[in-house]
Amino acid sequence: MILLAVNWPHVWMVTLLGFAIVLILLVVLIYVLKLFGFIMRPRVKVENPHEVHEAVGAPRKQTSEKITLTGNATAAIAMALHLYYNGVHDEEPTQVTIKKVERKYSPWNSKLYGMNNLHRS
Amino acid sequence: MWNDILEFLRGMGFMHIDWQQACMLVISFFLLFLAIKKQYEPLLLLPIAFGMLLTNLPGANMFHSELWTAFLDPSSPAYHSYGAILKEGGLLDVLYIGVKAGVYPCLIFIGVGAMTDFGPLIANPKSLLLGAAAQIGIFITFLCANALGFTEAQAGAIGIIGGADGPTSIFLTSKLAPELLGPIAIAAYSYMALVPVIQPPIMRLLTTKEERAIKMKQLRAVSKTEKIIFPILVTTIVALILPDAAPLIGCLMLGNLMKECGVVDRLSKTAQNELMNIVVIFLGLSVGATATGASFLNLQTIMILVMGIVAFGMGSGGGVLLAKLMNVFSKEKINPLIGSAGVSAVPMAARVSQQVGQEENPGNFLLMHAMGPNVAGVIGSAVAAGILLTMLG
Repeated sequence: MILLAVNWPHVWMVTLLGFAIVLILLVVLIYVLKLFGFIMRPRVKVENPHEVHEAVGAPRKQTSEKITLTGNATAAIAMALHLYYNGVHDEEPTQVTIKKVERKYSPWNSKLYGMNNLHRS
Repeated sequence: MWNDILEFLRGMGFMHIDWQQACMLVISFFLLFLAIKKQYEPLLLLPIAFGMLLTNLPGANMFHSELWTAFLDPSSPAYHSYGAILKEGGLLDVLYIGVKAGVYPCLIFIGVGAMTDFGPLIANPKSLLLGAAAQIGIFITFLCANALGFTEAQAGAIGIIGGADGPTSIFLTSKLAPELLGPIAIAAYSYMALVPVIQPPIMRLLTTKEERAIKMKQLRAVSKTEKIIFPILVTTIVALILPDAAPLIGCLMLGNLMKECGVVDRLSKTAQNELMNIVVIFLGLSVGATATGASFLNLQTIMILVMGIVAFGMGSGGGVLLAKLMNVFSKEKINPLIGSAGVSAVPMAARVSQQVGQEENPGNFLLMHAMGPNVAGVIGSAVAAGILLTMLG
């Protein structure tokens, strides 16, 4: 009786269409993310060291668009950047905070009761 | 004087307690035990169990289910009147307004977003497919619940348990079937806590030893700009295609944007800690308060608990099977164990993939690969909730 009371065509429609929409929407997101990854890909091409070795002595290819870097050059640049950003000290924070140091009176730091303040007769 | 003493004795809760309330008190003690001693999702189970305890104390008048019945009854003068709730309700009624209005789950999603790293998903967008496949449990359970005599709206709310996402379950149930909020919230959080128990047998059953030992290629590095643009892009696309999913996806991505942009650290930290914790207390207490004896102790609750585990198992299995199918067509092999992480339960499900993978190959590190489908599952279940809300709401 319960099974007969259910509006099965609508239930099947919700099930199949619902799952299909989830799949389609996430597939759309996959392609958007792939396109996004393609646009955002790093522009620097790292050349294969073997190719570099073979190319020694030969006239260097004219690559006006792509920058070709070997692993050693990349490491040297990374080290230089690291040293630059960690060593640089010519920019000081412009914020100047003057904290008023206020010492409250206490007999423990009072000159009046200090040891040097000897009584003179 | 004797009259005063008699009056006091008559006013005691002990004199008014019925068997249903007594049962619910025992259940709340058991859930408190699970939360404190066994540490099953204690952050939510503890306030839920305590809310259950408070609402079933006779005479405490902290939650009035009859007020909320009138709130939903078009013939009642208190129909959709929050004023009547504020005037006549108790503490838990007032807190429950946040659930009813769908505010708490969205605020929790801001915190979840602020704690989530979408990097593995951006690095491997195919993970989204696994997150989508794991949502099959939601729709199969929707079919089963209809066959068992639940209304379509109730069936949709029960099915969403398969998404293994507490805030999404609460959000959808409060809209589609508020009368089932207590059992569904308890089922959702209990099964999320039981992920390490439920998933491994399903994963082992559906995969071979060789498949479980597959090592995956290291994920590419994701730039900060990509991480900043991702939440804006996803919100725009999903909300334009499916406006009903906008509250959940929008809040999730807002939290993530606050984390990734790096210019609102204070807001990000607040969303991750103070905001999240405060809302969890309110949400847990008020959801627990809906579990009154009359609404909880019935056959429906048992059926919801059974269907919840079916939904969860189907979702886990769906992800694993799709990963196997992808291996047939793809050059780069995927370890099918990461498919089960497509049910949300972040990050527990990803950890389970890692553990089961390391049982076969101790040198295999699947955690970051599994985080992709895991966060895709959060997006997938929010999308599924939006679809069910559009079609059944």
